[in-house]
Amino acid sequence: MTSSPRLENFVAFSAQITAFNKVEIWGTGLADVYLDTIDGLVGAAVTDALLDAFAPIATLRSDAARTDRLRLEVFGSERLGPVARAIVKLWYIGVWYPLPSTWQEQFGPTARNDAFVPTPAAFVEGLLWPAIGSHPPGAKAPGYGSWRLPPNIPSF
Amino acid sequence: MSEAAEFDVVIVGAGVAGALAAGQFAKSGLKVLVLEAGPDTTRDLASYNAHLETFYTASSKGAETPWPPAEGAPQPDGADLFKQEGYFVQRGPHLYGSTYTRTFGGSTLHWLGVSLRMLPEDFELRARHGVGRDWPIGYAALAPWYDRAEHAIGVSADVEEQRYHGLTFTAGYDYPMRRIPPSYSDRVLGAAVNSLEVDLGEERVAVRVRSYPAARNSIPRGDYQPIGALDIGSDGQERSTYIGERCEGNTACTPICPVQAKYNANKTFARADRRHLTLRSQAVASQILFDGVTGAVSGISYKRYDDPRSTSFNEEVATGRVYILAAHAVENAKLLLASGPQSGEGQVGRGLMDHPALYAWGLAPFNVGAFRGPQSSSGIEDFRAGGFRARHAAFRFDIGNDGWRAATGAPDATVIDAVTNQKLFGRQLRTQLADQLSRQVRMSLAVEQLPDPDNRVTIDPAYRDKFGNPRPVIDYRIADYTFEGMAAARKVAARIFRQAGIKDCSRSTAELRFPTAIYDGEEVHYHGMGHFAGTHAMGSDRSNSVVDEFQRSWDHPNLFLLGSGSFATMGTSNPTLTLAALALRTADHIIAKLHDGG
Ligand SMILES: Cc1cc2nc3c(=O)[nH]c(=O)nc-3n(C[C@H](O)[C@H](O)[C@H](O)COP(=O)(O)OP(=O)(O)OC[C@H]3O[C@@H](n4cnc5c(N)ncnc54)[C@H](O)[C@@H]3O)c2cc1C
Ligand code: SF4
Repeated sequence: MTSSPRLENFVAFSAQITAFNKVEIWGTGLADVYLDTIDGLVGAAVTDALLDAFAPIATLRSDAARTDRLRLEVFGSERLGPVARAIVKLWYIGVWYPLPSTWQEQFGPTARNDAFVPTPAAFVEGLLWPAIGSHPPGAKAPGYGSWRLPPNIPSF
Repeated sequence: MSEAAEFDVVIVGAGVAGALAAGQFAKSGLKVLVLEAGPDTTRDLASYNAHLETFYTASSKGAETPWPPAEGAPQPDGADLFKQEGYFVQRGPHLYGSTYTRTFGGSTLHWLGVSLRMLPEDFELRARHGVGRDWPIGYAALAPWYDRAEHAIGVSADVEEQRYHGLTFTAGYDYPMRRIPPSYSDRVLGAAVNSLEVDLGEERVAVRVRSYPAARNSIPRGDYQPIGALDIGSDGQERSTYIGERCEGNTACTPICPVQAKYNANKTFARADRRHLTLRSQAVASQILFDGVTGAVSGISYKRYDDPRSTSFNEEVATGRVYILAAHAVENAKLLLASGPQSGEGQVGRGLMDHPALYAWGLAPFNVGAFRGPQSSSGIEDFRAGGFRARHAAFRFDIGNDGWRAATGAPDATVIDAVTNQKLFGRQLRTQLADQLSRQVRMSLAVEQLPDPDNRVTIDPAYRDKFGNPRPVIDYRIADYTFEGMAAARKVAARIFRQAGIKDCSRSTAELRFPTAIYDGEEVHYHGMGHFAGTHAMGSDRSNSVVDEFQRSWDHPNLFLLGSGSFATMGTSNPTLTLAALALRTADHIIAKLHDGG
């Protein structure tokens, strides 16, 4: 994966909205695929607006401050909020869920309007699995008998 | 029987029943042909793994997701239920909620692998409890075949844990592999409820969380060799690879075990002697040809296709001395009905059963490690027998290890709710998901159903598939006997949750993703278990059944019908182990007859 400032911004944004760190986001190997997917769906202009809105927020020192500003300026925005939420779901589940019809009426139709998995790896790399101390069904199996042991959810 | 028959035995269906019978015949030196409707894309590792890819890429994942059917061999799909379309023609009043797979290997490709024996009293429901009907054979007659079936499909369990409700085992017998380790959540739940006693009518029942026998590879006993993932050698013979010799806890038995640690019918073919066995895939049996005088089968006509995506085919006929339908309970009945002379005095297709099931789900008081291990590893078997069966259905619970997945679509649905509705992101989201998902507990309450002649599979010339074969038309009604069993099961589940401090969420989030029935003024959301049974039931004489105790058709002396269609009643055990035992018993019976020159 070749890095570009735009991709790095996307990774930083993704890390912030998922509460996984940048190394973990890069580690999925999916950041560029997702950025391309999102550009293809909503248009690069919308993605740019999202990343531009995040740029000043990213420089804030405290996580709480970043969260507050994100809630106000990104998740609270009619145009950017639904896209940001779709990106959170994409990272956690590995599925792109269509944007609400009200969004599409106001800001233009997305290239596809169905739920889809951008690449098989998306399901396998879903962040919800490490978030709950588990693994995706059918992949990354933890080994015979591991389920007998008490659970261990990694702290973050 | 034709002297010029090409094969000794022609078998329709490469599922578990057909595979077990074929393996026995080949071993005894009989020439066998297996006709399989679906494509042969599950026997080599690369093609099997392509099915895994199909599963990964689907945005919503059901039991059929990895196994898309060929145009000429359609199959029911869970999603059909909400679209009022699909393969089944459902005439109600209730929806039949189950599915099966028409690909080489059959429905064991996506089954869960629960391999319980039927209870002795399940074979004598009428004699003991005055309901249903009795089987022409009892538990004692079938027990040695259960032993063999458990070794043939590879079942993991510890025999001392399985002696309950009168289940006895051959002296010195144990399962081929040690039990699958119970999950952490099983152990937590067991610690909380194993002292509980519940009143059911006049009976007091002690509850115990017990690991169930599973057809998933575990640590072998003695010289038993687990069969892992298969690959085909250049000689056309499947062989076990080193992958999948132990269950790895992939939490995906249904719909696809990625490492094939779970039994599927191809493992039986892998062990079979290929010199005597011909496997013909993409061959949809469409008619049984009868000798007008004797009623004996003279051939099976089938439609062969080259391209699974096309609707063109060639018709061919296979001939043998003996014919076996092992195409699944619904397809067996359909094939017989489509073949002209009515068999079994109009009884073919009647008595269709399932285990309609409810979910109970809740939040445990602390992290129980949900979403780890096989989808389930334990159950509660204590309500499978008792005097209450004179009044209402028996039931068993399957205790999930995969949170609320089956009931609500978790974890995806939980994430979507948190992000879209609760507007969470970042730390708050991650914290909440870790807290909620890890505490999710789910039980399936699978309830017995009695044979009702009006619950049936029929055919209607108005409804055909793309090859012109009839589609199954289904009449299905859940009777009060079962609804009352459901009500009792629900009460027991609520009591168990209370005892374990689990917050019951079953009702508050009741979804309409399942078929709905109204009973006693209340909506009941149930789902099918995939346990089709009773469509060609066995009995003691031709007036009350389609086949005899060896699954031989009363009307067609060289025709045998294998599978859970032969069940007179189904009790509460998942059907496959029992149909496997019956298939082995039938195969040995046929071999003895053929070697006698009969
Ligand atoms: C989601 C799910 C979970 C399940 N879990 C369990 C479980 O835990 N325990 C349990 O005991 N059971 C379980 N079952 C049921 C189990 O899958 C079946 O009982 C079992 O597979 C039936 O075996 P069979 O050989 O009779 O039929 P199948 O396995 O369905 O095989 C029949 C074969 O015949 C072929 N065929 C069909 N029509 C034709 C035709 N016209 N010509 C040629 N070939 C044809 C099919 O393609 C198929 O390969 C489950 C089912 C489902 C749907
Ligand atoms: S838990 Fe996983 S590895 Fe084990 S049998 Fe099921 S799918 Fe296969």
